[in-house]
Amino acid sequence: MTLHPGACDPRRLDQFLHQPVAEEIPQELEAHLSVCPACRDKLDEMAGGARWWTEVRQNLGSDGASELAQTLYPADSFYRDAVNLDFLQPSENFASLGRLGNYEVLDILGRGGMGIVLKAFDPALHRPVAIKVLAAEYAANGAARKRFAREAQAAAAVVHDHVVPVHAVDANACRPYLVMAFIPGRTLQQRIDHSGPLELREILRIGMQTASGLAQAHGSGLVHRDIKPANIMLENGVERVKITDFGLARAVDDASVTQNGVLTGTPQYMAPEQARGEPVDQRADLFSLGSTLYAMCTGRSPFRADSSISVLKQVCEAEPIAIRSINPDIPAWLAGIIAKLHAKDPARRFQSAGEVADLLEQCLAHVQQPDQHPLPAVARELGRQIEEATPAPFGQRWRLIAAGIGFLGLATLIWAISPVWNNHSFDTNVESALTPEPLPDPALDEDRISQELRQMQSRLTMVQQSLSTTGLEECGDAPLNQVRDRAELLERSMYSGSTPSADPVDAQLQNIRRRLGQLQQDFGGLE
Amino acid sequence: MEPTTRHSLVLRLRNPDDEAAWAEFVGIYEPLVYGLARRKGLQDADARDLCQEVFRAVAGAIERWDPDPAKGKFRAWLFRIARNLLVNFFADQRRHTRGTGSTSVQDLLEARPADDAQAEADFAAEFKRQAFRWSAHQVKHEFADSTWQAFWKTGVDNHPVGQVARELGLSAGAVYIARSRVLARLRQRVQQLGEDSGIFIGDEDHDVASGSL
Repeated sequence: MTLHPGACDPRRLDQFLHQPVAEEIPQELEAHLSVCPACRDKLDEMAGGARWWTEVRQNLGSDGASELAQTLYPADSFYRDAVNLDFLQPSENFASLGRLGNYEVLDILGRGGMGIVLKAFDPALHRPVAIKVLAAEYAANGAARKRFAREAQAAAAVVHDHVVPVHAVDANACRPYLVMAFIPGRTLQQRIDHSGPLELREILRIGMQTASGLAQAHGSGLVHRDIKPANIMLENGVERVKITDFGLARAVDDASVTQNGVLTGTPQYMAPEQARGEPVDQRADLFSLGSTLYAMCTGRSPFRADSSISVLKQVCEAEPIAIRSINPDIPAWLAGIIAKLHAKDPARRFQSAGEVADLLEQCLAHVQQPDQHPLPAVARELGRQIEEATPAPFGQRWRLIAAGIGFLGLATLIWAISPVWNNHSFDTNVESALTPEPLPDPALDEDRISQELRQMQSRLTMVQQSLSTTGLEECGDAPLNQVRDRAELLERSMYSGSTPSADPVDAQLQNIRRRLGQLQQDFGGLE
Repeated sequence: MEPTTRHSLVLRLRNPDDEAAWAEFVGIYEPLVYGLARRKGLQDADARDLCQEVFRAVAGAIERWDPDPAKGKFRAWLFRIARNLLVNFFADQRRHTRGTGSTSVQDLLEARPADDAQAEADFAAEFKRQAFRWSAHQVKHEFADSTWQAFWKTGVDNHPVGQVARELGLSAGAVYIARSRVLARLRQRVQQLGEDSGIFIGDEDHDVASGSL
């Protein structure tokens, strides 16, 4: 019996629903269901209907956490990922994991460098919220708590369509937390991980919305300091951009260096001046926006290496792989805009997020209606520069191949004319012939630097711990404040010690060593 | 918890069906017990201890299981005694001070099923949640990835069928077929688990059935 696209056959639907999974789906049934709402409803009802769909949503989904739910099994991973929630108060409410302030915590949305993100319900205003809770190691650090409070309060003042609203901050709780609007959806990072490079229009739209959110925050004097795909939420359905975590990067970065002596978090989207620990302004966010656009174009972050220090080095010194050699669908003008955002010198970037938002908006209009909206002159010029700077990709590839063939030929020739190498000393001889100068081992150098930095950081931590245990911190004692300020400054320059780009490494290390010595001396004097 | 406690029972089981039943039982009950315990105010370490105690008690009770097919399957037996144990445990918790289990888990296993509507309801809700998650995890592997995605995106994430069809490169008809087939299969698994443990799921007429040993 065949089912024609025009014919309805409920008995056949039932059979089909319960047939073995591996069996083929008849094409005519698929075609029929595409056009027949009655049969669709019938099929849906037979499978379980509205009641079962409700059960599925209630028991499998938890809005933004649905991906978490998908990965909750097997039980082994459940235990490994179990987050310690001992700071919550027990709740009478069954659906709740516990209480935090007045909020009923419903689920764990994720974990990040600074702590964990919880989904909760606000009973007073009857709405879902997302709560960021500062990790225990930062919560124990007085300076980190204060920065957290200061930055969170500044972030709460930013009101914009493309910035996640901050509802409340409690910096005095045993674990300070920040209450934000709950945005059902996923992050740009998740989207890139899931589907790779985005379409041009999507890149422009997301870039434009991010830039306009940044413009508003910059207008209030705030710098985000950690713009990256994981901090850009895409709201369910419309995928509207919502930037999250304003200013929090700073509160945590400073603390993490003090606490662990190592850099936490990913530096892949950081601006060079930030990586060096120099003062940053809004233009650092524009560099990170460039890296975010790059990731949308290519599916990967621009500066990649296997250690944080190497990434920071790359951020400061290297040019990323040309976008169009990874994704040829990206027009030269967009590659040009990203290159300008990626200028190592902030003065050579675009100077404001508003400027970038406008430019991307005009480019989007051009892509949607090329007849009515010409490509903006700025973009045209940047595109021309990219085209001039890069040789045709084919030429490049041929040159590489030719070089490869040349190398092989040379090696064969050397081998052929030197019969003595055909015995035991073959390997070493070829090696020395092909690499006459031993190359310095960069890993070794890095090890030494990071080891020294770690030692200095632990000394600094000791000074800071003594500072907070004196209990004078709040008294406005002038010399003590000065020492603390200097300790903070030093913390930041240690950051830059790990990115030896502008100054020679040793000079910089020596500088830090000197300042740390002075600090300890000052502190000793106070005692 | 220690994998040894979790798996030790398997050594005593000769029947492969029983081994599968035990794996399923542990897979569902471990997050269930942990989740329930945390919601009732137990600290992380205590909740883990409770998981271990429950499995130890159940493993101990296995001696009493009669492999006579007329008296029911091992699977159903396992789910019923664990359910009984947990309902008793939480009923006991409600009567006594929070966080201090005054009765041993073994005692609770021996006790008659408590008549405590709240504990029953708490257990049923948590069981349902875990039964869905476990079944979804199992069923997922039976279908092609695009079929599963069509189900998840339309059913759980609530995205429109048209949009999902475009995203997955399928016809609307194919998305309707995919989501219905997964739902039918999932429902079958969840209902089976419910029947085995005396919790009826998705049937409004029986919210919680009082099962007994």
